[in-house]
Amino acid sequence: MLPEIGHFSLLISFVFAICLAIFPMIGAQKKIVEFVALAKPLVYANFALLSVAFFCLSWAFYHNDFSVTYVAMNSNSDLPWYYRLSAVWGAHEGSLLLWVWILSLWTAGVAFFSASLDDEDVARVLAVMGFIAIGFLAFVIFTSNPFERTFPLYPIDGRDLNPLLQDIGLIIHPPMLYMGYVGFSVAFAFAVAALIGGKLDATWARWSRPWTLSAWGFLTAGITLGSWWAYYELGWGGWWFWDPVENASFMPWIAGTALIHSLAVTEKRGAFKSWTVLLAISAFSLSLLGTFLVRSGILVSVHAFASDPTRGLFILIYLLAVIGGALTLYAWRADKVVSTHRYKLFSREVLLFINNVLLVAALIVVLLGTLLPLVHKEIGLGSISIGAPFFDKVSSIWFIPFILVLSIGPFVRWKQDRFSRIRNKLLVGIVPAIIVALTCYLTLQINTFFSLLGVVLATWLAALVIYELITSSKNNPLPLTHWGMSLGHLGFAALVIGIAITKVASVDKSVRISPGQSVTVENYVFNFTKVEQFQGPNYSAYHAHFDVSNGSDTFSLKAEKRYYKMHSNVMTEAGINAGLWRDIYISLGEQLDGKAWAVTANVKPFVRWIWLGGLLMVLGSIMCILDKRYRKVLAWREQKTAQPAASNTMAAENAVSKVASDTVIEQRIKFE
Amino acid sequence: MKNYKLLIPIVAFLLVSIFLYKGLYSDPTNIENANLAKPFPQFQLADLMDENKLYTKQDLLGEYTLINVWGTWCVTCRVELPFMTQLRQQGIKIVGVYYDNAAEAAFGELDVRNTRKDVTQMLAQLGNPFQFNIYDEKRDLSLDLGVTGAPESFLIDDKGTIIAHRRGAIDHRVWQNEFAPLFPSASGSQQSLEQN
Repeated sequence: MLPEIGHFSLLISFVFAICLAIFPMIGAQKKIVEFVALAKPLVYANFALLSVAFFCLSWAFYHNDFSVTYVAMNSNSDLPWYYRLSAVWGAHEGSLLLWVWILSLWTAGVAFFSASLDDEDVARVLAVMGFIAIGFLAFVIFTSNPFERTFPLYPIDGRDLNPLLQDIGLIIHPPMLYMGYVGFSVAFAFAVAALIGGKLDATWARWSRPWTLSAWGFLTAGITLGSWWAYYELGWGGWWFWDPVENASFMPWIAGTALIHSLAVTEKRGAFKSWTVLLAISAFSLSLLGTFLVRSGILVSVHAFASDPTRGLFILIYLLAVIGGALTLYAWRADKVVSTHRYKLFSREVLLFINNVLLVAALIVVLLGTLLPLVHKEIGLGSISIGAPFFDKVSSIWFIPFILVLSIGPFVRWKQDRFSRIRNKLLVGIVPAIIVALTCYLTLQINTFFSLLGVVLATWLAALVIYELITSSKNNPLPLTHWGMSLGHLGFAALVIGIAITKVASVDKSVRISPGQSVTVENYVFNFTKVEQFQGPNYSAYHAHFDVSNGSDTFSLKAEKRYYKMHSNVMTEAGINAGLWRDIYISLGEQLDGKAWAVTANVKPFVRWIWLGGLLMVLGSIMCILDKRYRKVLAWREQKTAQPAASNTMAAENAVSKVASDTVIEQRIKFE
Repeated sequence: MKNYKLLIPIVAFLLVSIFLYKGLYSDPTNIENANLAKPFPQFQLADLMDENKLYTKQDLLGEYTLINVWGTWCVTCRVELPFMTQLRQQGIKIVGVYYDNAAEAAFGELDVRNTRKDVTQMLAQLGNPFQFNIYDEKRDLSLDLGVTGAPESFLIDDKGTIIAHRRGAIDHRVWQNEFAPLFPSASGSQQSLEQN
């Protein structure tokens, strides 16, 4: 019964979404108050209906209702309850349902926290988000219905969840990522509504900023989690593979990064308006493009979901409607947007502009690298593959100008400045940079040019960020946005240091080893003590135990190899001893003849810094959202427009940051 | 509309969409192979089981031959061994190119005797489809063939021209669709296989 209720809720919600896209938009254009007033009730109803649908599917999973095809295909009664629940988004149909549910959540958020905005403006924004929802709801209902039954013959037990996904990292990775992807729909809807309404003022930018920042924070958290998961679960010790699906999540992230910077300029200086609108459209468009690439099976990837041309065609038509529509609107209306602000060649505006140019260049490289194999093949030039070596090479050159601009930026004044004024400040970072680089060179044997340069520049950046914080907080307390920005930049420095050092200084050794024997990697002696058999809830496993020591530091590690009977799949669980300065990483390979095993032992210095960087960026975005300046400005607007909604707005900001800070707590637990 | 620059994003997007549309209907796993319709590369390599026995391209000529690049380390190869053993029983000549994955790993001195032991054990267990195995120790032949992984299979005709190439395992369906029709006596091998 419940699956039918869920299905029915989906259908009603589809009808509501159509109404939401049509009536409030007409109402806003033709000044029909009744139509405008429809927007918020429709949004809340949609959120309630989709919550019911999502609950019904979760219920079916929790109670092992294998008469539902999707449950039978992706769950199993042996599965622990938390994996049964996370299995809801473990495959195509359910993850789409999660997608639309999250969209309805963001839409409801916008409806709830926008009391101080013009009703007509809000109606336009909500209508655009309703339009976005139509396509995805239709996609779920007509091509990927998760509530389909297997009647009359239903299986006794399910096929089990893909073992790769049976992991804590994967329980929260997709929801985070989707919160980010879908969160960009808010900025998108604001931009499109502004183009339709012809209002593109500072208010628009100010309103978009916290929403964009929270979406960006979620996306950063999602990508970081994904990378961390790949590191310990796939058993290769890698953390980023430039896989097409990773690129699909990376592209909206780059666009989002550019967007949060250009929004700052638009809000504070009234410049870059048309450019900001384009970025807001791009960030969400790239999220959609990512969805298309992942779901259509158009690219070969370890992540590939269902490959089904009809599904792909459906998303493509949807892309044409949403992205094509928005970009046409942009071409038609954006020349009405005039940035009147003037600035000189050496000013913060120009530096932020260079930041944007560099980010967009990176975006285009990743986009081309991801799509070029496809284009190349389709125009008959044969197959090529573009992989990690290409991206590594490009990004190792790209980061040099990026860090330089990033370090200088915060010191430079808006509108106009002189280089001589900041020259001496920039020198502050040089001493620590040289000391750190020398230390790295001497102790970690980092001797390649780009890695050393990476360490030097990142240290310089970090030193300047800290110096800037100290000098500017001397006179008066800094706003939270300033702290947030500095944290984000420190995060980027940590990321670069992590990558630069790990890439060069990691040592791994693959050996054939039997219990009782030992192997030495970089002063660490790995003693293989024993292998045990182990029976998990839905898998059987070998546990290989190691005692690891480098004289002063002794600990034991357990590497695991699991066999999942339902999927006849073998999974590796690496044994990791984590530390801020180095990770010790063991992965268990094949069992060789007799008692011997193939084992790979790794020493990976500074690898944690990569995720530490991500974590700092997420924290930075939370601090920015928490800043009371958004509330203050809003309160000021409220007085002006005399709308009694101050408490709502406060609650809004608090709630957003509450969600975000929960994320961080979640993350912190993971990292320890 | 005075400002034509504003049209750039929509035009770029439409161009990309055309390729996305075309890409939907082509199989991504079927990567085109530059080797198709070209002669099989020349080589001189030892037998996997006996380093004194050398093979060259001449040993592959004279009849349609299926060349299978494989290794005991490769899980998918395990899967296709039983089916290929059936093929051998149909009278199809199959030659293995053994690709040693461990060559670069630091297993100390690479000992071919261990490999031989693994191979013998695995073939005894799952069936031996191979007339003989060429040991591609330095991976030169695999490089010339443009091999990207294992298993990969090449079908060459009696004159040594590559007429089919498959990345991934060969099963009954793949054989019927991609390989069997290429044989001069296609119907014969097909029927006997379906009886199995």
